[in-house]
Amino acid sequence: MHGTSVGKFYAWFTALGLLVGVLVGLGYYRDEYRPWKDYQRRFIREEIRRASTPDQRLLAQSTPVQVRQILLPELNRVDRCTTCHLAVEDPSYGGYPQPLAYHPLHDQHPFDKFGCTVCHRGQGRATNIEDAHGHVPHWDEPMLPQKYIQASCGQCHEASDNPAAPELARGSELFETVGCRGCHKLAGVGGNIGPELDRVGARRSPDWLRQHFITPAAVTPDSGMPPQKFTDTDIDAIVLFMLSQTGAELPGFYASMKVIPSASEGRRLFQQKGCLGCHSMGGQGGKVGPALDDVGLRRTPEWMMQHFRDPQTVSPGSVMPRFGFTEAEARALTDFLVHLRDQKVGLGILGLMGPVDRGRGIFSKYGCAGCHGPEGKGGVPNANAKTAQQVPALTYVADGYTKAELKGIIFKGQREILPLDPHRPAPPLYMPAWGSTIKDAEADDLVAYLFSLKPKGEDLGF
Amino acid sequence: MNGTLPDNGVSRRGFFQLTLGWLAASFAAVATAVATVRFLEPNVVFEPGQRFKAGKPDDYPDGSITFLEAERVFLVRRGNSFRCVSAVCTHLGCTVNRAGRGYHCPCHGSAFNEEGSVESGPAPRGLAWFLVTLSKDNRLLIDKAQSVNSDKYLIV
Amino acid sequence: MPKRIWLWFAHTRVGRSVFRVGLPQSNLERSQAMVSSFLLHVQPAKVSRHALRASYTLGLGLISLYLFLILTVTGVLLMFYYVPSTEQAYGRMKDLQYVVSAGLVVRNMHRWAAHLMVLSVALHMCRVFYTGAYKRPREFNWVLGVGLFLTTLGLSFTGYLLPWDQLAFWAITVGTSIAGYAPLIGPKVQFLLLGGNVVGQEALTRFYALHVIVLPAIAGLMIAVHLWRVRKDGGLSRPDGTEDTVQSIALGQLPTNKSYGLMELARGTTPQVGKDPDDEVFSWPHLIFRELLLFLLVVAVVLFLAVFWNAPLEEVANAVHPPNPAKAPWYFLGLQELVSYSAFWGGVVVPSLLVTALLLLPYMDRRVQGVGRWFARERTIANVIFSVCLVVAVALTIIGTAFRGPNWSWVVPWRPPPAITEGR
Repeated sequence: MHGTSVGKFYAWFTALGLLVGVLVGLGYYRDEYRPWKDYQRRFIREEIRRASTPDQRLLAQSTPVQVRQILLPELNRVDRCTTCHLAVEDPSYGGYPQPLAYHPLHDQHPFDKFGCTVCHRGQGRATNIEDAHGHVPHWDEPMLPQKYIQASCGQCHEASDNPAAPELARGSELFETVGCRGCHKLAGVGGNIGPELDRVGARRSPDWLRQHFITPAAVTPDSGMPPQKFTDTDIDAIVLFMLSQTGAELPGFYASMKVIPSASEGRRLFQQKGCLGCHSMGGQGGKVGPALDDVGLRRTPEWMMQHFRDPQTVSPGSVMPRFGFTEAEARALTDFLVHLRDQKVGLGILGLMGPVDRGRGIFSKYGCAGCHGPEGKGGVPNANAKTAQQVPALTYVADGYTKAELKGIIFKGQREILPLDPHRPAPPLYMPAWGSTIKDAEADDLVAYLFSLKPKGEDLGF
Repeated sequence: MNGTLPDNGVSRRGFFQLTLGWLAASFAAVATAVATVRFLEPNVVFEPGQRFKAGKPDDYPDGSITFLEAERVFLVRRGNSFRCVSAVCTHLGCTVNRAGRGYHCPCHGSAFNEEGSVESGPAPRGLAWFLVTLSKDNRLLIDKAQSVNSDKYLIV
Repeated sequence: MPKRIWLWFAHTRVGRSVFRVGLPQSNLERSQAMVSSFLLHVQPAKVSRHALRASYTLGLGLISLYLFLILTVTGVLLMFYYVPSTEQAYGRMKDLQYVVSAGLVVRNMHRWAAHLMVLSVALHMCRVFYTGAYKRPREFNWVLGVGLFLTTLGLSFTGYLLPWDQLAFWAITVGTSIAGYAPLIGPKVQFLLLGGNVVGQEALTRFYALHVIVLPAIAGLMIAVHLWRVRKDGGLSRPDGTEDTVQSIALGQLPTNKSYGLMELARGTTPQVGKDPDDEVFSWPHLIFRELLLFLLVVAVVLFLAVFWNAPLEEVANAVHPPNPAKAPWYFLGLQELVSYSAFWGGVVVPSLLVTALLLLPYMDRRVQGVGRWFARERTIANVIFSVCLVVAVALTIIGTAFRGPNWSWVVPWRPPPAITEGR
């Protein structure tokens, strides 16, 4: 019979059939078993336990076990964090252990509009712990450590004076005063010795950045960047600021948040709208309207808001026209006036300053201190430079150059730095050409400031 | 046919092996079919949810009727009371427009009054009204899965 | 018991209308089962014992066919979720993994079956060469086979881009650049393939269309012709002397003193006189059962890989940050290795010569000795030449895959590569 010759394969058939059956079953089981289902069942049990009325109990019992997600089409994100973190919106879960903890709500940042990952990072589409928290291979956005969370505010909001994100503001201030822009470009302003920093927060991890500020050469061997003498809290702040620079361009609704009303936005408006035409500040400006130096003490913010909307409603007979400010603009201007007592905001009005003061601002704006030291006092190492292996100090430039010569050096730069030892590598730091960046009037002010650096009375010796 | 061997010359052991093999293979086939159906059934959908938040009560001026585009509902505020009516015509699912104090469907001419009841046209039922509640963070919470009578308000 | 149910069903009015013969009980019915069933009729009623020998065919052609079927089924399933958009494709891959039931397994099966198919088709070609099975009258089926091999590579390559991750993006960038080295037509082909000058949305759309309809349709058609030709060329190749005595009756050369039925005009199907009947057995159940076993085996292997190993998915495609080294899919790494020596010779001359040689092979090698046996002594020269090419190709592929690290410099695979110092 033919059956006998095929019959020798029957055992094979049984074995292979069973193998396929087992594999299908195994695949099915592995796919069905997902830890988030346990979290949800635990949450439902907790809800049932807490239910005080039959209605609530019924509602809790009918809660489906399913993936929950927040759709953020504008951000091209889908956040499924709430699949496990089920109680983020329920204050009665305050103090619960994760994943059931309550997330203190930000009134301005409702979850259904912002989701989770836009601030916390991580992998929103993932539905298991490791992948979702993002510390896995092939995911560029692991969760941001809690201590750096304010970095995310900087994606949308002004970093410099953000009262809600003081550490971010501190980092931004350090960035501007230490002189990072001398070598690095950020938002198009800065030198070109080091790399641009516009996307550094997305490219680098917190640990990398930290290490980089302590000893740059440890993470990038051929870096010419001088080690920075930061305190520990300063490093946290500047790392945080760096992390905020992700280069993410947020669309539509989120982009409109970029111009949050802030004191610095108010200062910009104050200059742009020509308020000094009628009002005065620091003794300068028009005399038609009242001086505004102490307006923050005289008036409440509510009064000022109303005044910006329609001056007549709060000071009848005022000659100030209705400018038609938007609500955000009015808030920004109010913030600016309220914070006038804070010197930083007040003195920032260029129109009110002399050339030396303006020059000091420019010295800071373009990060000159990064190489030439705070107030041009030098001391920044530049390996193998003939000038004592340091970037030269600027204290006595007034003795060596005329104003025109100095401007020329600033504009043209100095690519070749004389080496101490011609056989060793050339000094890493050099003077970039600033001609395309620094405007002529700015350069005049800068030179005036540099000339003012020379200690008073030392001329007498000559 | 050989009398000592059942079924077409297959030995008893062979018969057992065949049966077991077919059973396992059939199990695999059925499980695969079930898995395929489960695969095709979406576990998540990428459309606006049935339950959604519609912002703070103060976002809507007194006396306003606001069309929420993505969710296809009208949010009606009168005084401190809120309610929410479907903008989906009960006839064949077109989106209705506001017409005077009521609503009008551009597809087949159904007209609904202020309360969503049918005035004229082919629509079989009035427009649905949805449950409006206040969420724990004080946002209007609309649940399109829960229909209510048109006289049920949320008083804020 | 299942058999009883089956027999009962097969003999009901409905059952007979579907299966026509039912479960065959006699030799006549065994033949009828093969001839009268759509799915089985492509195979002969009786088949030579030699063709059933696993050690002869290794089942590679059938394995390739099964993999193609698995790929079609899983591919169609994946299409239910995939969106060929640079914005969404990557997210859809993630969704398959995280929220679609069995989504990851289906994707894994598709990916591993695709790799396996490239491998099995290549091995199938080697088998056919080493057994001399491409010789007359099977020359054209070999040519079809070469076409199917290239189509398989094309299918795998176009599918490679679709996940839109770093692996996909750079493999296709590198792969299409190799195409760009061809003289005259190279840049044009590259431009046509990408729908632009760089890999972007246009390229994704094109690769998607090629992957899900154009190439599968071509492959399906060629497979049909390939199988049909196996029958019409007299079944699988057999050792010398056992082949059909009637080699061919070309149209127009029919003896005029005899009348022939229309079916006898086809080559190789004339009544086979004087053949040892012991050489052949009924396809049902001998061939069918073996085919069933092989199918289960292929499914088991693919499932096993898919359940325990996940298909790679790297970061989302980023045109600014290429990985170092950026590598083409593994089956093109031999080519990439060649290109690293000389773009023109490695990227153009060698591959075109190889394909041309493969296409012309059955027409150049006309001796009919040594068919139907592995490594026949009469074919030593041909086998040596082929082996040398094969070893070089495999060696180059292995070098390109495992021994090339950052900047295409030598690395030893079992030691971690040196840390990459980045320019910035």
